[in-house]
Amino acid sequence: MERRRDPSSALLAGPLVLFLVFLLGYPMLWAVRLAFTDTLTGAVPSIENYRALWGDRLFWQATAGNLVIPLISVALELVAGVGLALLLAARMPARRLVRALVVVPFALPEIVFLAIARSILTPRGYANGVLAALGLGPIAFLVPGRATTYLTVIVVDAWHTTPVVFLIVLGALAAIPKQIHEAAELDGARGWRHLVYVTLPLLRPALIAAVLVRGLDAFRIFAAPLVLAGVEGAPVLSTYAYHQWSDYGDDGAAAATSVVLALLCVVVSVPLLGRRAARADLA
Amino acid sequence: MRCAALRRRAAVALVVVAGAVGCMSSSETVTLVTAILPGELPAYRAVVGEFEHATGTRVMVIPQQYADVRRAIAAETAAGQGTIDLAELDVYSLAAAASDVVVLDASSLRVILDVLDPAAVRAGTIDGLRFLPHRVSWQAMIYDHAILGAPPATWDQLVAVARAHPGKIGFKGALYEGLTCDVLPFVWSAGGDGVRFDDAGARAAFGLFHELAPYVNQESATFKEGAIVEAMARGELVLHLNWPFAMSWYATQGLAPDRIRSAPLPRGPAGRATVLGGGYLGIPRHAPHPARARALLEYLLSREAQTRLGRELGWFSARRDVPVGQGGDLLAGFVAMRDAVHPRPERPDYVRRSRAWQRAFRAVVFDGGDPEKTLHDAARDAGDRG
Repeated sequence: MERRRDPSSALLAGPLVLFLVFLLGYPMLWAVRLAFTDTLTGAVPSIENYRALWGDRLFWQATAGNLVIPLISVALELVAGVGLALLLAARMPARRLVRALVVVPFALPEIVFLAIARSILTPRGYANGVLAALGLGPIAFLVPGRATTYLTVIVVDAWHTTPVVFLIVLGALAAIPKQIHEAAELDGARGWRHLVYVTLPLLRPALIAAVLVRGLDAFRIFAAPLVLAGVEGAPVLSTYAYHQWSDYGDDGAAAATSVVLALLCVVVSVPLLGRRAARADLA
Repeated sequence: MRCAALRRRAAVALVVVAGAVGCMSSSETVTLVTAILPGELPAYRAVVGEFEHATGTRVMVIPQQYADVRRAIAAETAAGQGTIDLAELDVYSLAAAASDVVVLDASSLRVILDVLDPAAVRAGTIDGLRFLPHRVSWQAMIYDHAILGAPPATWDQLVAVARAHPGKIGFKGALYEGLTCDVLPFVWSAGGDGVRFDDAGARAAFGLFHELAPYVNQESATFKEGAIVEAMARGELVLHLNWPFAMSWYATQGLAPDRIRSAPLPRGPAGRATVLGGGYLGIPRHAPHPARARALLEYLLSREAQTRLGRELGWFSARRDVPVGQGGDLLAGFVAMRDAVHPRPERPDYVRRSRAWQRAFRAVVFDGGDPEKTLHDAARDAGDRG
């Protein structure tokens, strides 16, 4: 027997559809139109904005940065998040307090966290003060264009968002039945082998979810490189787009950069989402 | 029932009064959008208050950043209606905003135009007179007197100071118009025209930058006006170029004029030069009260208003009959540069050239690029070469 559709369901979905169309769809289409509008002449369609990006060395630096920084940052977060979750999943004194402390960096407003990090890492900041007290030379954590600057941005960003991975993995660990661990140990899987052949495979769905959530978010990275090192220090596509809009008043170039970033996110996320959908179908 | 009737009558009376006040306000209010700092607002309001008192017109002063003002008047032009009667824009963005403001009748403004600096008037003339200088500004050198004693007066002395204090020379090196304002004075003071990348002035200036490069504070690559001012306050720099607001800020921090002072830019092969900046007033196309806006514009450019703004806010006036630098020793370096002020090249492709100057500077100072090759590439980026 066919299930009849309730007409009122369409009505109930109406506000959401309107919201998506007017606050998401329309601005997106306008941004794409702006990306293909010549800022100087107003001609549409025009690829002048993309031609300008193609010839801009800072754009290519930003593109490279937008690939490297999220990749390493998410890898760091996965390792640190899984490690912390495994450590804090075990029974230990003050476990709840330690778990709460681990989440503090993410609980702070991002701009507050980054302002604190910057004050620690500037040339005359606390970090170099400690190094000087130990008789060591200063480290150029935030000097623009250097590898140490990129590394600093990666570590600070990972530090801020590792709690997200930690919480996802911690929840997944708690969901693994104890009997599986006991059975594995009876079969001789202990320590490292237990982790690699039992725990991690069971954590795989949670890890993929963490990679999806953090991965897409990491591609949109903006505040960390901007606050810590400035547009020129460790450029990424979002800060480059902001620079075009804010410093040059070039809305077209900013929109073109945003389109490139959006395409990058789609290219990265579609394979991951496709695999998850395939697994869901099989299930 | 009696109470309900009373309440109804009070509500109707309130609506009538509010409507009357609202209508009255909109017909006698002029909206002025200007890029003044929060600390400047009380003094500015007092100056504007004289106009309100004399004309009975209320002036709504809205502080905004120049970029936001430009976007607002562009949006009003696109919408075909507006609320802004008089807008102040940065001299750098006048060309881009020219189509959003009306052409002023120069003949009826002759009395004012005759006392304004011709270079300042020229900067506001784009297909007709569209903007008039609300205030003008230019950069000077700001140096740490406690460390340096005397400021470098020539390029050779500047290099000597840089060698003696490595990492303590700062430039506004971020990719924005402020960097062009640091570059062009050196090009001009070497005889360059600020347009061509291959003239003798440009080559001499970039030769200087190449010589200074090992001693420039590397954080300069991200410095803008605010960041460089703070870096100097922290003692990380002994010298940089900036606008008069920096000295006012140092004074509020107790750093000027004892420790930090202003001085003219170092003299180059062709003398001294600095770049013209400042805010210009224009009447947007869809100003709701253009006649009142025009009256306010004339008042703000009057000798009385300009003298008061100079005395109370330390602003420089484009009126030649208003003394410059009423801020005493604090702005002495700026006053000394008055005759060396150059407007930026008035060309339709100025924005493209400006970006080419910025990239060339960064290539030489932060990436160790060869000056000749860098200037050649800059000329190509600006469309001078095939």
